[in-house]
Amino acid sequence: MVSVNMAVNLGGIAMRNPLNTASGTYGNGWQFEGFYDVGATMGAITCKGVAAEPWAGNPAPRLAELSGSAIMNSVGLQNPGVASFVEQYGPYLQGLRDKGCQVICQVAGHSIDEYVRATELYEELAPFASGFEINISCPNIAAGGAAMGATPAAAAEVMRAVRPRTSRPIVVKMAPHDVAEIGRALEDAGADALSLINTIPGMSIDVRTRKSRLSRPTAGVSGPAIHAIAVRMVWECAQAVSIPLCGIGGVSSAEDAAEMILAGATAVSLGTVNMYDPACAPRILAELEQWAELQGVSDINELIGAFEC
Amino acid sequence: MEASNTRLWPFEVVSNEPLAKDIWRLVISSGVAAEIAPGQFMNLQVPGDGSHVLRIPLSFASSHGPSGTVELIYAVVGEGTRRLSHMAVGDTSTLVGPSGRGWQLPKAPGRSLLVAGGVGLPPIVAAARMLAAQGLGFDAIVGAQTAERHPEGQIDLLRGLPANDLCDCARRVLVTTDDGTLGIKGFTTDAMAQLLEERAYAQVYTCGPNVMMAGVAKLAREHGIACQVSMERMMGCGFGACACCNVELAKGGYALCCQDGPVFDAEEVAW
Repeated sequence: MVSVNMAVNLGGIAMRNPLNTASGTYGNGWQFEGFYDVGATMGAITCKGVAAEPWAGNPAPRLAELSGSAIMNSVGLQNPGVASFVEQYGPYLQGLRDKGCQVICQVAGHSIDEYVRATELYEELAPFASGFEINISCPNIAAGGAAMGATPAAAAEVMRAVRPRTSRPIVVKMAPHDVAEIGRALEDAGADALSLINTIPGMSIDVRTRKSRLSRPTAGVSGPAIHAIAVRMVWECAQAVSIPLCGIGGVSSAEDAAEMILAGATAVSLGTVNMYDPACAPRILAELEQWAELQGVSDINELIGAFEC
Repeated sequence: MEASNTRLWPFEVVSNEPLAKDIWRLVISSGVAAEIAPGQFMNLQVPGDGSHVLRIPLSFASSHGPSGTVELIYAVVGEGTRRLSHMAVGDTSTLVGPSGRGWQLPKAPGRSLLVAGGVGLPPIVAAARMLAAQGLGFDAIVGAQTAERHPEGQIDLLRGLPANDLCDCARRVLVTTDDGTLGIKGFTTDAMAQLLEERAYAQVYTCGPNVMMAGVAKLAREHGIACQVSMERMMGCGFGACACCNVELAKGGYALCCQDGPVFDAEEVAW
C-alpha cells in the first residue's frame, strides 16, 4: 500500500500531486475526459494561452514531425480572447476546481499593456483560476512572446507590470535560455513560481522546395528529444532561485517526471506526450508514487532537488 | 464546448494487404467500430519505433459494430504508414477515436454525387455506404493518377451497393486517371462537369487533394449544389488538444480539422 504524501505547493497553488499540463498540448482539459477523469486525477492543468482580444494564430502548416522523438509547432497562440474563453470553458473549469484540480490560466500578450489587460480581464471574469501563468516565451509570434522574456530586464518589467493586477499566484513560463539570470530577475520582480522550459526554437527545411516545413522559418521543438536539456535548465534555475519550479520538457514517463523533481521541480507538466499518449497521466502518476515509495520517503517534497552530484 | 467521446481503444490486426501500388487495406478488430460514424477518423499508433512519436490519423471505409471490425484504406506515404504496412495479422496496438465530425445526410431530397481523388477514397466509400443504408441514391467519380493506383475492388463495391429507390436511371460510377491508363483520361472535375450536364444532384461529397476539392467545390457552387468536403491536415493529437491542424475559413480565422472537421461545408472553407 502506497502511502507517500504527493501534495505539493507551486508558489501558493496547492496541488494534490505534482502533475500539471503544458499549455497548448492539453486543449482546455475537456478533450481528455474520454481518457480519464481530469478533475479527479491531475494536480493542476494549465489552459491554452489567452490574450485580452482574440488571436487567429499562424497559417497552416503549424506542425512538422521530426525523426528523433520530436515535433515542431508554430500554432502562434490561437485563442478566442479572455471573455469568450471564460464563457466557453468557465463552467467546465470550475467543475475541475470542485473536484480538487487546480486550474492555471495562461496569459498571452504582444506588449506589456496586453499582458496587463488580459490579467485584469481574467481577474474580473475567471473566479475559477487558481493562478496565472504569464507566457513570456512563445517562440511563434512576431511581436511579444519570447521577446518579452528575452532578457532579465525585459522579463522583470512584464512581471512588475502584472504583479499588482492580481493577488492570485503568478507562474512565469520561461524560454530555454539564461534561466538562472532571468529566473532571479523574475523572483525579484514578484513571481511566485517559474515554469520551464518552453519549446526550443528550431528549423526544419524541405530540401526539395527549399522552404520551411512550417508556415514560419522557425518553430518550437518539443517532445522526448528535448527532455535532457530541460532537466539541465530546471537544475540550473533551481540553483539560482528560491521560488518553486514547474518542470516541462519531453516528460513522457514517471522516470522523466522523477528526474525533473530531483533536478529541483516542485511540479511537472506533461506536454507533447498528451498528443500521442493521451491516457498517460494516471499511469505516470501511479508510477511516480511508486518511485517515491521506493526511494524510501513519506513525502514527495523530500525528493525535490534531491539530485546528488 | 461539447462532451468528448474520443477514447483510447486497443485494436488487433485482422488483415493488412496491398490493394494497389502503395495503397493498402487494413482491417482491425476494435471496440471503436460500434462508436464511429462515416466521415469521422481515428488515430493509430504503430508500435516499435520510438523515433516517430505521433499517431497516424486515418479515415475509414467501413465499420461493422456487431463484429467489431473497421476497414481502413491507406496510402504508404511516409515512415509511419510504411511501418503500418508491416503490421501483421494478430499484431496489437492502440487507437484514439472516434475523432471529428463526419458526413451529414443530404438536407434536400435527391441524388448525391460523390467525388474521390487518390486516397480520399475511404471516406467517400463510407459516405456511399451511409447513403445506401438510408436508401438514398448516388453517383460517384473515382480518380487516381494512374491505373495501378486505383484500389482494387472499390469501384465494383461502389457499383454494387444497394440501389436507391428514387430514380429509374442506373447509378453512374465514373473512373478517371490523369494519364488515361484506366477510365476517362483527365481529372475528376472534368468527369464531374460532364455528369452535371446530364443529371441533377442535391448534394456533393468530396475527399481528395486540396486542389481537387477546391475545383469540386467551385463546380458545386456554380450549379447551386450543397457540397461537403473532408479535409486533410498534418495532425498532432487528432482530438482538439494542440490546435496544429488549422483550416482557414472563408469568414476569416481558423477551424481545427480534427475537431471542427474533417468534414466541412465547402462554403465555410477559404479555398
